[in-house]
Amino acid sequence: MHIQREQLEADVLIVGAGPAGLACALHLANLIKQHNRSGAKPELSAENVYVLEKGRDVGAHQLSGAILNPKALRELVPDFETSAPLDTPVTDSAALIFTEKSSYRIPITPPPFNNGGNYVISLNRLVKWMGGLVEAAGVNIFKEFAGAELIYEGNGIAGVITEDKGVDKNGKRKDNYTPGYELRAKITVLAEGPRGSLAKKLIGKQNLQNINPQTYGIGIKELWEVQPAKISPGYVAHTLGWPISTKMYGGGWIYALREQRVSIGLVIALEYQDPRFDPHAAFQTWKTHPFVRNLLEGGKLVRYGAKSLPYGGWYSTPRIYVDGGLIVGDSGSFLDSQRLKGIHLAMKSGILAAETIFEALKTGDTSVKTLKLYKQKIDNSYIKDELWKVRNFHQGFHAGLLDGFFHSAMQQITGGSGLIDPMRTHPGYQAYNQIHGRPAPERLKGDGKLTFDRLTDVYHSGTRHEEDQPCHLKVLEPSICGTRCAEEYGNPCQYFCPAAVYEMVKENAGLKLKINAANCVHCKTCDIADPYQIIDWTVPEGGGGPNYEGM
Amino acid sequence: MKILVVMEQRQGKWNNTSFETLVAAQPIAAAASGTITAVVLGKGVAALADEVAKKNTAEVLLVEHDLLENYTPDAYCVALKQVVEAAKADLVLFPHTYQVRDFAPKLAASLGKGMVGDCVGFRSEGGKLVFVRQMFQGKTAADVTFTGTGPWFASFQSGAFRADLLSAHPSGKAPVNSVRVDLKPEDIRTKPLERFKEAKSVVDLTQAPLIVAIGRGIKAPENIPQAEALAKAIGGEIAASRPICDEGWLPMERQIGSSGQTVAPKLYLALGISGAIQHVVGMKGARTIVAVNKDENAPIFEIADYGVVADIFELIPALTEELQKAKG
Amino acid sequence: MNIIVCIKQVPAKDAPLAIAGNWIKESDIGFEMNEPDSYALEEALRLKEKHGGEVAALSFGPERVKQTIKEALAKGADRGIHIADDNFAQLDPLGTATVLAAAIGKEKFDLLLTGLQSDDHGFGQTGVLLAALLNLAHATIIMQIDVQDGKMKLKRELEAGWFQWIECPLPAVLSIQSGINKVRYATLKGIMAAKKKEIAAVTRQSLGVAIALTQKIEKIYVPTKTKKTEFLTGTPKEMAAKLVEKLKFEARVI
Repeated sequence: MHIQREQLEADVLIVGAGPAGLACALHLANLIKQHNRSGAKPELSAENVYVLEKGRDVGAHQLSGAILNPKALRELVPDFETSAPLDTPVTDSAALIFTEKSSYRIPITPPPFNNGGNYVISLNRLVKWMGGLVEAAGVNIFKEFAGAELIYEGNGIAGVITEDKGVDKNGKRKDNYTPGYELRAKITVLAEGPRGSLAKKLIGKQNLQNINPQTYGIGIKELWEVQPAKISPGYVAHTLGWPISTKMYGGGWIYALREQRVSIGLVIALEYQDPRFDPHAAFQTWKTHPFVRNLLEGGKLVRYGAKSLPYGGWYSTPRIYVDGGLIVGDSGSFLDSQRLKGIHLAMKSGILAAETIFEALKTGDTSVKTLKLYKQKIDNSYIKDELWKVRNFHQGFHAGLLDGFFHSAMQQITGGSGLIDPMRTHPGYQAYNQIHGRPAPERLKGDGKLTFDRLTDVYHSGTRHEEDQPCHLKVLEPSICGTRCAEEYGNPCQYFCPAAVYEMVKENAGLKLKINAANCVHCKTCDIADPYQIIDWTVPEGGGGPNYEGM
Repeated sequence: MKILVVMEQRQGKWNNTSFETLVAAQPIAAAASGTITAVVLGKGVAALADEVAKKNTAEVLLVEHDLLENYTPDAYCVALKQVVEAAKADLVLFPHTYQVRDFAPKLAASLGKGMVGDCVGFRSEGGKLVFVRQMFQGKTAADVTFTGTGPWFASFQSGAFRADLLSAHPSGKAPVNSVRVDLKPEDIRTKPLERFKEAKSVVDLTQAPLIVAIGRGIKAPENIPQAEALAKAIGGEIAASRPICDEGWLPMERQIGSSGQTVAPKLYLALGISGAIQHVVGMKGARTIVAVNKDENAPIFEIADYGVVADIFELIPALTEELQKAKG
Repeated sequence: MNIIVCIKQVPAKDAPLAIAGNWIKESDIGFEMNEPDSYALEEALRLKEKHGGEVAALSFGPERVKQTIKEALAKGADRGIHIADDNFAQLDPLGTATVLAAAIGKEKFDLLLTGLQSDDHGFGQTGVLLAALLNLAHATIIMQIDVQDGKMKLKRELEAGWFQWIECPLPAVLSIQSGINKVRYATLKGIMAAKKKEIAAVTRQSLGVAIALTQKIEKIYVPTKTKKTEFLTGTPKEMAAKLVEKLKFEARVI
């Protein structure tokens, strides 16, 4: 059925109001202002720059530990130290080894974990603030609007179609049905974060992949209010060891903010072998370690969230420019997996994209001829400097922690090349071992005070969706679920989803997949980790998803 | 303190919550050394006034007028203003009905005074009258006091007090005094037309005083009719936790919880509901919570006033039968 | 038809509440349009579509409520009025209505619409008080509005599944029942157009209005459950009987 869509035209369309997208918007608006002030032609307008944000507010879907390296923010907003909502400077960086009963602080904190000069922040608050600057500069930020489909044109893209609103769960139009817009733009910037749904399709369609596929981790976070004097603001710790086996890649974090708030969490690479491993349960278990338990004693859970992160690094960076389009931020793989830092690289990529777009707008050429400038700028910037050094870092851990440390040491003394350069990798979902009839593990119930089951945690993510809408999680071959997947892998979706979206329920003599789409926290883990790659995460109606206030 | 209790009737039939308000007035009168006067408005309602006079009230004011036969906010306000002033009332109480919501604030404003509506309780603290009402959809309670001089106006939520606790008049009957009010047709701007009954297309669970809610324990849609029968027997609305509505077994308007309705009814009967936090936040403001679940460790019991550890399929029919017995 | 809609901005329904005295801590929570008011706004927009005219969105509160006014403008309201006041949450129903009436008093309108009540204070009196202060006809819990020849026929909800039609003159104040319509989405074009629409700014001082509170919220608190859970025992039949007895005589809810 052909849908009549209203058309809108913009100069620049940025999909995603995260640090990359907003840095792009802000820098571009600044360039335009200077340009117009100087009387140069053609005259440009920041009002022709549109930003789409699928969350209910700017910042609603922003989740990170987070520790910010301020170098990119300094470029964007020189007086950031007085104006940005930075929670506290890092005062103490610790690297801890956990065993089941004890913890050991490595006497000299290894350089990747040394965060002197950085800030502990709430990414949600930082992005909200950035959004305010972007809007003050005249750029339009449309909240509760998602990019649902790309408009393809030739070898590139010409804009997006926003999601249809007011469709009921059976696909019928409700009274307030409002079809999505055909939003055309001279240049479209995909800034959707890790595993962006539009970026994924573009990369697939135009074969933009690099020599390595992207690999991902999942980060699960809780924000707590703890008893006074438990911890000092600015204390940051990264933990290795228990309860993560040495065969797996992952670790915990503890970042102390002001006002007795603590950000804690666990990151785990989504390339583990046990298909029924439960990252959320591992995180809850990690909290029972005496060090963490003591910290959280008498405290209160404030908020919960989860998000995937791109671990692939430099060799997983897709081609980041096409005719009429650019990819920035996590979707472009700009994350330093060794230091666990991506915010400043996301911002820098946004800044460089803005410079490129500015050139394209001035000359009128929005094809790859001009847009490839973006890639050149990335290569000449500290983005490449930083990522090049760790280009083989994550791949080194493929066989486990000890191997990884060895390779990492080799890479340190060889400027990143190590013993094998480039070190190849496989997509994480290919790592699963089949279950061969092994019984399913018992699920974590949580004690309700220190540890929580997923449903209770999801409640604290503030997630809500319009109930009466089609399921946004498209399973391309649902017949596999109750049969092949149940037999081979025991339905990992029930385990890897940190929001209890997927459930296998008994139906007649077999199993059926039940999807509780309303719980979805938009982490994209399912799209990444499903062994058959039949789960396609698509955007739900705008406004839905988590509400990561203060996260 | 002179306390007026405005009774509500329509076409000769009581809105029974009026008697709850008379009950509410008793401790207030005791605390403030006051007297209670019931007010009955309408046309041809002398018999109703006589009925109230037999209850524990010092006096009944019968306010009759042609233009009070059918309720209009203008007529009620014009009439009651005169009654309140003539009676030199200090406190005017109402049951919190749809009708009272429609005119009582205006009545108070016409005297330059304020109204504290939908109270669920009251207490006397250090000589002050403290009215308790709900805020944030029942998530919190609020203590409210009046400032300035009276008359003060307040309404009580249905079920906050118990009508059957109303004692009879100590000496048989209170005096019924007729009050003349000046009321002209040009005082009344709206014209009420016919009343009619209609199956509501949109159910508003937030207004339902009694709710019977089902959860996953109901297992299959075929089992829902027996829960509906129970709801009918109790005179309440059927509702459900999210999974039931997700499956389409009940329409989404019946969903209670963080992604559905938040309710604070007099009674919430949770059948086969585990008590996940998403559901509990939608109903924990209910005055009385009864939970039925065969798992004695179900979190729902933490917030229940009454717990029944049983198979819901055994309890529902038994409960329905008992309720029908109690009615008939 | 010129319509004014009173819209309140309230803490987001799912915001965790941190109580501070007689209000809540406003940091780190989101705010949104009071849901009952969104139905009133939708009704106003539909009436405008049918009868022409203009819709003005009026809101009272701190700077942040402008966001909600903008949302109304994005949905189709023509202009906004912001009564700026940081202390809004402390006003009682009559005080609020008095200020609103002062702002409205200078306007020409056919209809003044409000939602039934707010999700935070829940006083449920604003519409009726406005009618009293502006000396206008009013009706509440309105499900349907039919306008013909300068008069209205209104469908009003009564208790227990009953309804009633009433005739009402214009101008009038109506409190709209929730859920009577499907609220529209703000469109991209609407959001952009909203940027150019006027939001008039007034204050209590500029309106020259003085108020005296008639009531005071002393404190708010989470009601503590004083009763422990009473588990009934016996066979299902016995427990059912005991339960009915308890509900009738102890809890007195049936």
